[in-house]
Amino acid sequence: MLRFALRRATVTLATLLVVSLLAFLIPYLSGGDPARAVLRSRVSDNALDPAAVEALKADLGLDRPLLAQYVSWLGRVIGGDFGLSFTSRGPVSELLGNALGVSVTLAVVALGTAVLIAVPLGTLAATRHGSRLDHGITLVTQGFVAIPEYWLAPVLVLVFSRHLGWLPSAGWETPASLILPALTLTLRPLAYVLRITRAAMIDVLAAPYITAARSRGLGSRATLLRHGLRNGLLPVLTLSSVWFAGLLGGSVVIEVLFNIPGMGQLVYRGVVNQDIPVIQGGLLCVVALAIAISTLADLLGELINPTARVRHDAH
Amino acid sequence: MKPRPHEPPSTTPRKAADATSDTTLDIRGLRVAFGDAAVVEGLDLTVRRGEILALVGESGSGKSVTARAAMGLLPPGARITGGSIALDGEDLVGLPPRRMDRIRGGRVAMLFQQPRAMLDPTATVRDQVAEPLWLHRGLSHREARRRVTGLLRDVGIPEPERRARSYAYQLSGGMAQRVMIAAALAGEPGLLIADEPTTALDVTVQAQILRLLKRRQRESGMSVLLITHDLGIVATTADRVAVMYAGRIVEDGPVAEIFDAPRHPYTQALLRASLLRTEADRLYTIPGSATRARELRRGCRFRPRCPVAEGMGVAHSCENEEPTLSSCGSGHRSRCWVRPSGAVGA
Repeated sequence: MLRFALRRATVTLATLLVVSLLAFLIPYLSGGDPARAVLRSRVSDNALDPAAVEALKADLGLDRPLLAQYVSWLGRVIGGDFGLSFTSRGPVSELLGNALGVSVTLAVVALGTAVLIAVPLGTLAATRHGSRLDHGITLVTQGFVAIPEYWLAPVLVLVFSRHLGWLPSAGWETPASLILPALTLTLRPLAYVLRITRAAMIDVLAAPYITAARSRGLGSRATLLRHGLRNGLLPVLTLSSVWFAGLLGGSVVIEVLFNIPGMGQLVYRGVVNQDIPVIQGGLLCVVALAIAISTLADLLGELINPTARVRHDAH
Repeated sequence: MKPRPHEPPSTTPRKAADATSDTTLDIRGLRVAFGDAAVVEGLDLTVRRGEILALVGESGSGKSVTARAAMGLLPPGARITGGSIALDGEDLVGLPPRRMDRIRGGRVAMLFQQPRAMLDPTATVRDQVAEPLWLHRGLSHREARRRVTGLLRDVGIPEPERRARSYAYQLSGGMAQRVMIAAALAGEPGLLIADEPTTALDVTVQAQILRLLKRRQRESGMSVLLITHDLGIVATTADRVAVMYAGRIVEDGPVAEIFDAPRHPYTQALLRASLLRTEADRLYTIPGSATRARELRRGCRFRPRCPVAEGMGVAHSCENEEPTLSSCGSGHRSRCWVRPSGAVGA
């Protein structure tokens, strides 16, 4: 277990290094001159003074070679300093912190709802495998997968905000503002988690050790709880962690539509304004979190299913 | 459910354990079908108290399905469509699921062919062996878990305290089967159904497991239904043997008698085809392939492969009418038109 954790940590660090390089370089791929963009956002006059542009470049450190910029950026990032935003001039780490808080809340609520509904329902479908109930559940969730979020969000707003007036249509001021975006985001992971739960549980329930458990006198429900779920939950855990990482990165469409100040919104604005430190910090932050989450999920999986541990140790 | 003619009309609902009777398991006229196809048909089988009854037959003959039916754990799609399975006088067929849960593991337990696959990979040995203790013997979970170590020691597991914390992947096949035996015996069942418990194990381990089973059977006085296709195991382990062919018992009786004087041509062929008989240079093979229970509608099920039916005066009967399982010696029965006085014999 320890050896596995160590090896995993090494791989993770190496991945992070590569990711940091990409996160650093990607904003430069968009072409355009960030210094000009910054100046244009500050000065109403369209004709920019070339001298002012050069001065700003020197000021922002944009005139140095890329590699030198990367190394000093990385050094500061490791210390938690992501630099200053070109547009707001505030520290990027603060912006990231706020946006991340919002995105984590939204992701936890959306995915939590999805998992809490999908796992019991998927298990139920598996125990009634082939029944009308199973077909019904499968059909409805199949529909969820097909509904695009950019369509669902406005429809929900129309119904619940415009017509019924129950919920706010946008913003992030009250807990109620969370409901519509979370609902929009929850349907697709719900459908996928449900399908994988169902498939995994169908396999598990046909396993020999389930028959053996029944032969000791455990009822069908007790068998499911004691020996079924733990075995079926591994793929569910993996899939959920992938969705969680995805949601943390922020759903740009949803955050923009509902005007939610999360990661998606932050990075989106950063790109629009060519705010390089924000884009770099946002990308690195999101990818690092995704890696951390999937590592955590794997370790958790090892705990749940010791057989997986053997497979890793054998390699 | 079809009517069961052999059963006296009962005025009271099923009676509970009749422990004084000398019969533990009494299967009468059992029919098990997958859809319309019967894989077990008209099966009669009796396990007496304190004996080891071996049920032998080729794969596909319905041995395992019979065992599963007795456990109330038939695979999906299979259904009992007739007959009765009486455990200590109580018919298990059609019992409510909750009632059956209390019987399973407490009054009848089961061993399986692939012991390692029978253990939950995510649960410890202790978790699983403790289950029958708190399910059937009224112990608290804590007390049940505490007693597991002793149960493991009783089945000859070294370092039982450490093994109790093991997972299936850390056990050898033989060790896993010992664990399964400990779990099966934990509920102190009156009947143990062992479905090819040593088939997947090394030969040396096989012998150890069989000795262990026999020792524990003598100590506890329980009955054992031992399902196997290995006549060597029958010879060393069982008291009586029942031979199954195409979903029915074709011969049963005391082991010594059946090995000395098998009556049914199928049993005779089976013995000749086994390595126990060394007089032949070449291993005998039974011509043709195993008849499936659903293939034949009339006549003797073994007739297409029977070396005796040809040339005998009874061939017409063999063709048209199935013989009954009738006595041919003390406690010895055979399902063949050729009677003891006939020319058939070893």
